[in-house]
Amino acid sequence: MIRTRWKHVSMLLVLLLTTVTVLSACTKSDNGNGNANTAQTNTDSKATSSNNASGNEAADNAGAGATNAGNGDPITLRLTAWGAPDEVAAMKVAIAKYEKAHTNIKVDFQAITADYDTKLTTMVAGNDEPDVAMMESGTIAYPLAEQGKFLNLQDFLDKDGEITPDALVPNITYSAEPGNVIGVAPGPETFALFYNEDVFKDAGLTPPPSDASEAWTWDQFVEVAKKLTIDSKGRNASEEGFDPKNIKQFGVNLPTWWGVYSNFIYSNGGDFLSADGKTLGLNQPEAVEAIQKLADLINVDHVAPSPLQAKNIPGTNVALQTKKVAMAFDGQWASTGLAQSKFNYNVGVLPIMKSPMTTVVCGMFSIFKSSKHPQEAWELLKALIDPEASLDLLTAGTWMPSHKDWYTDADKLAKWTENLPSRPSGYKGAVIDVLLSHSHPTPTAYVKNFNKIMDVINPALDKVWLGKQTAKDALDAVAAKAQEQVQGRRDVG
Amino acid sequence: MGIPALEGHSALETQALRKRKHARERKALFYGLLFTSPAILGFLIFTLGPMIASFYLSLTDYNVFKSNTTFIGFDNYAKLFSGEDDLFYQSLGTTFYFVVLRVPAVIIISFFMALLLNMNVKGRSVFRTIIYLPSIVPAVASSMIWLWLLNPDLGLVNSVLQKLHLPTSNWLFGESSVIPSIVLTSLWGIGGTVIIFLAGLSGIPKQYYEAIDVDGGNWFHKLRHITIPMVTPTIFFNTIMTIIGSFQVFSEAYILTQGGPNNKSLFFVFYLWRTAFRDTEMGYASALAWVLFIIILIFTVIIFKTSKSWVHYEGDKA
Repeated sequence: MIRTRWKHVSMLLVLLLTTVTVLSACTKSDNGNGNANTAQTNTDSKATSSNNASGNEAADNAGAGATNAGNGDPITLRLTAWGAPDEVAAMKVAIAKYEKAHTNIKVDFQAITADYDTKLTTMVAGNDEPDVAMMESGTIAYPLAEQGKFLNLQDFLDKDGEITPDALVPNITYSAEPGNVIGVAPGPETFALFYNEDVFKDAGLTPPPSDASEAWTWDQFVEVAKKLTIDSKGRNASEEGFDPKNIKQFGVNLPTWWGVYSNFIYSNGGDFLSADGKTLGLNQPEAVEAIQKLADLINVDHVAPSPLQAKNIPGTNVALQTKKVAMAFDGQWASTGLAQSKFNYNVGVLPIMKSPMTTVVCGMFSIFKSSKHPQEAWELLKALIDPEASLDLLTAGTWMPSHKDWYTDADKLAKWTENLPSRPSGYKGAVIDVLLSHSHPTPTAYVKNFNKIMDVINPALDKVWLGKQTAKDALDAVAAKAQEQVQGRRDVG
Repeated sequence: MGIPALEGHSALETQALRKRKHARERKALFYGLLFTSPAILGFLIFTLGPMIASFYLSLTDYNVFKSNTTFIGFDNYAKLFSGEDDLFYQSLGTTFYFVVLRVPAVIIISFFMALLLNMNVKGRSVFRTIIYLPSIVPAVASSMIWLWLLNPDLGLVNSVLQKLHLPTSNWLFGESSVIPSIVLTSLWGIGGTVIIFLAGLSGIPKQYYEAIDVDGGNWFHKLRHITIPMVTPTIFFNTIMTIIGSFQVFSEAYILTQGGPNNKSLFFVFYLWRTAFRDTEMGYASALAWVLFIIILIFTVIIFKTSKSWVHYEGDKA
């Protein structure tokens, strides 16, 4: 008898496990909101999104009291984003503010830190899209936009009284084609020349200017970089007997990804594609010259680490602090780490080839067309890009505001740039002024089929950075293959 | 026999016995199926189902983001083999090169490791633990460590080579050295294979070795005539598992090299993943997956066919 009873119990257990296994696979796609709270109180969460008050939200409403009357039906908005912990914290601040102003709306915020694109692709495949999503222009944002998955934010920008295209800093909206805005960035990121002030003082050299009108020419820059590249016996790269094999301190750190070299292609008057978008621009003389000059920093002048040596160079903040490098090309986001490292660093304008230029790169917020609440989603997007809500990130150095008045209005500018370790004396000139008057959109925003083109270009450039081929030879060798992938520009109508 | 009544009785009894046995067997089958049902259902729902779906998708132009999917027959496969997609052949070649280098290395090294660990020495279990330990370390963590060890300028490996006045290498960053380097790093995790070899070795009866001692043979005779023939089933199993695992190499390319330099470590599965999740061309990626499945299947079948001539099972007539 006891044995049969045990049999029944174990049978029950097995049955239970089986049903759970089977059902867990099914419920996932059903559970449109993915919100534990709503799922608990309301087994059919789809009902929640279609304005059917769940117990949970009704309670929220009741808590808000009569002031909330006429503020609309309860709504849940889903937001996905990635970010470092401090960025996620800033987004939470913005969401809390937004929820306070819209008591009928609950934001279901999913911070996806790893494999964001894979996860989002899966959500799209399962017709389980969020309302608002953070996107990266270099990855799946445009494939999604080309399939008409995003709302055209131009319509909102036209109607909105607070945020108009003119109220935003240049180059932080992304468009699928002119007039079809698919995303707005929470803030721009630009490139600049960070350096260790003590190194310059010790060497008796004038540090890089922060005013674009006084920017170093390329040759001036190389001269300084040579004097700051020191071998293990203390000789610098401009001296006789310098040993390029045993370098203790490099003049400059040169990350070899497109974000960095694009600055110099634009500065030299080149581009990734021709102006009409029909031909590859990277093998044209202006771009080739820019890339060759950068590669020469490594292989001819020996002032920058090779891609192999660069594997030993720590992050910009540590590299500058430990004097492994004297200067570094990097994005303004490096400010956070530099500010925390506590040494005399400063920032100057990038050396110019023909004209001062910086590439603006940033993530963006997009709204899925499947959203049942586009207007509310737009309001949420506005809250997310509101500089006031992300003030912590602005003062820490990670972000820059997306609203132009935060650059032009002296009071607002002071809020995030004055007396802060993350904003050294050169910051206003080298970063803010250059952004406002000498910035260029990122190639990922206007080059169609960017990834496929770069799949062909990157292996060729590997050889250039390693000094095995000249930029001209390497790019000419793959130009025909890359040209096959050219599909035009998004910014020409 | 001879007493009909008795015979009849026993026939009846056996019939009843058989019936009872039958009922018990049915019951056993029922419980057996019931208890294995999670595994069976799991296989049907999460393995077989997706496989069938992926085969169907490989015949379409399925792109996650496109709203309509059309059936295009074998166009994806035609595109693969026509040479239009040169990364397909490149990644296939890279993967074959990796398999050819890695499989013999894993089998030979782990076999000799197991031989050493099977010896009756002091602290044997400590050594066994040490050999197995790296297999528990997550691939990402051990890859990061190798990235530092093999760094061409500051890495420990090159530093030691330099001290010994031996030639150094660019390891993961050289076009010709990247695949051998990845093979080297993957040998780090052979503990599992070693354990299986150990199990095979410990199953060899001692009297065989004693017989050779009596006949006056040495350790080489033991290895040649007893140990190796007796572990052929284990070698067989490990070879198949290692081949399958090597064809599916992914995380090394994902973490160590991202397919570089110059696409020289663009492994097949990494290319497949990139096609599926970066380019979102799921239909085409499904076709890639099926090509890999067929390749692995062919290799497995070949090894199974040849196994009759070299794998010996104890008690086999052959």
